[in-house]
Amino acid sequence: MTDIAATSAPVAVGGESAPRLVKMRRFGVGEGSTLPISLLSGAVILAVWWIVAELRLVPHLFLPTPAEVVTAAVAIFQDGYANATLFEHVGASLLRIFTAAAIAIALGTPIGLLMGLNKWAKGVFDTPIEFYWPLPPLAYLPLMIIWLGIGETSKIALLSLAMFAPIVLSAQAGVRSVSQERVNAALSLGATRFQLLREIVLPSALPEILTGIRISLGVGWGTLVAAELIAATRGIGYLIMSASQFLATDVVFVGIGIIAACAFAFTFAMRLLEAWLVPWKGQN
Amino acid sequence: MLRVDKASVFFSARDGRTVHALDRVSLDIPDRAFVVALGASGCGKSTLLNAMAGFLPLSSGSITLNGVEVIGPGADRGVVFQKDSLLPWKTVVENAALGLKFAGVSRTERLVRAQELLRLVGLQDFADAAPYELSGGMRQRVGIARALATDPAILLMDEPFGALDSLTREQMQELLVDMWDRTGKQIFFITHSIEEALFLGTHLVVMSPRPGRIVARYDLDFVKTFAATRDARAVKNARAFAALRDEIRDIVHETQVLRSAAE
Repeated sequence: MTDIAATSAPVAVGGESAPRLVKMRRFGVGEGSTLPISLLSGAVILAVWWIVAELRLVPHLFLPTPAEVVTAAVAIFQDGYANATLFEHVGASLLRIFTAAAIAIALGTPIGLLMGLNKWAKGVFDTPIEFYWPLPPLAYLPLMIIWLGIGETSKIALLSLAMFAPIVLSAQAGVRSVSQERVNAALSLGATRFQLLREIVLPSALPEILTGIRISLGVGWGTLVAAELIAATRGIGYLIMSASQFLATDVVFVGIGIIAACAFAFTFAMRLLEAWLVPWKGQN
Repeated sequence: MLRVDKASVFFSARDGRTVHALDRVSLDIPDRAFVVALGASGCGKSTLLNAMAGFLPLSSGSITLNGVEVIGPGADRGVVFQKDSLLPWKTVVENAALGLKFAGVSRTERLVRAQELLRLVGLQDFADAAPYELSGGMRQRVGIARALATDPAILLMDEPFGALDSLTREQMQELLVDMWDRTGKQIFFITHSIEEALFLGTHLVVMSPRPGRIVARYDLDFVKTFAATRDARAVKNARAFAALRDEIRDIVHETQVLRSAAE
């Protein structure tokens, strides 16, 4: 008896040895941060690049060393490239993306909500959207140029079209995710149709809409380079294209780096926006 | 008074067959009455409540509230759902004030009135919390406060305590009786717990499935005793309570046996 009592004594906290903390085994990636692994992975890629370039395993014309890319970046930052400063290039691209995103969000959100709510709206808009949405933007780029000329209009139209569809589709999915019980609750509290839309449907669909905006920003960066192929004189895409004509691979690398940094900043900003607008996401 | 007159509902099931969910149900809910509908799942009690709330049109028959025919959902009938349907982007007090917002009451006034209702359900200290920070029982209390905010003639409650643990459930029952006693609202309450039905109702209807109809009616006074004495244990231990519980259990079982025999 005494033995049993002794072995089942309560766990001593702060004794010679701290208790072994346990938790349920989990399936898939747990909650631990993967940042160190990701940093290591980035360092390895950089090292491999540096070794391959330094040992001239690839002709130097095709692959500059990291140091040369940094030098090129500093030079572009100080002196500009292709008749414009770096800020003019980045500013031109950002202006196009922001304008196109504003148009796509302003049109896509109400149309998507309407398509989720109304049989006629869904029927009418489904045909053109389902038709053009899978097309690569480069395929209808010539039409944009023929119809809208080679100015800003055709570029922004191309970007807006590419960014419009993901927002419409996600807004539609957002409406579908509104629970019937929530709608019934609002109706039994006396909500009018407009109040139902503003107070229940729009906030319920907001997480999905924000996800759609995130996807469409990604699509936007992808289409940007294509849009700036059209007789542009400014823009990061233009910078890359003109550098490639002179086989200036180091400048191409700089351009790619700038796009990556911008896209990363956008993703981060969207995450902040989500945390601010939909803090309830994932909470029951 | 809410009057249900020979209400019938036929659904079309997914496989195309017609389901007879409600069969000529007639029911009066007088002022200050607490009517409890009891029955196994599938007996049409939720169908009846949805029809009263205006979520579901009747195949035949009629439902009137104080002489006015029910044709759709409206703020004159407050609904408390089984699953809480609070809005996660609004605070507790904003949720409670939602109906007042729909009615166009100014922000300061509706928040003051919602705060009073939160006091009625004992949540005055949680006004600025988010709904997902509350426990299940607290969320249902917000649901009750929200349904009361528009001062409806009747409260329709669809198994509101069904998802709660038994301790919380008993607290909620007592809170609800308190609220009913103070406000004098008509209440239509659905449950599948015999004890809950006996404890809460001034009127009890027992329903049986396929087609859903009322098979027994009782007038009860346990809830009035409790409201007067505040002694839940004495009420539930009374001999009359136990006797009636057994009697009703027999009725519910009988209808179930009949149903399985018919299948």
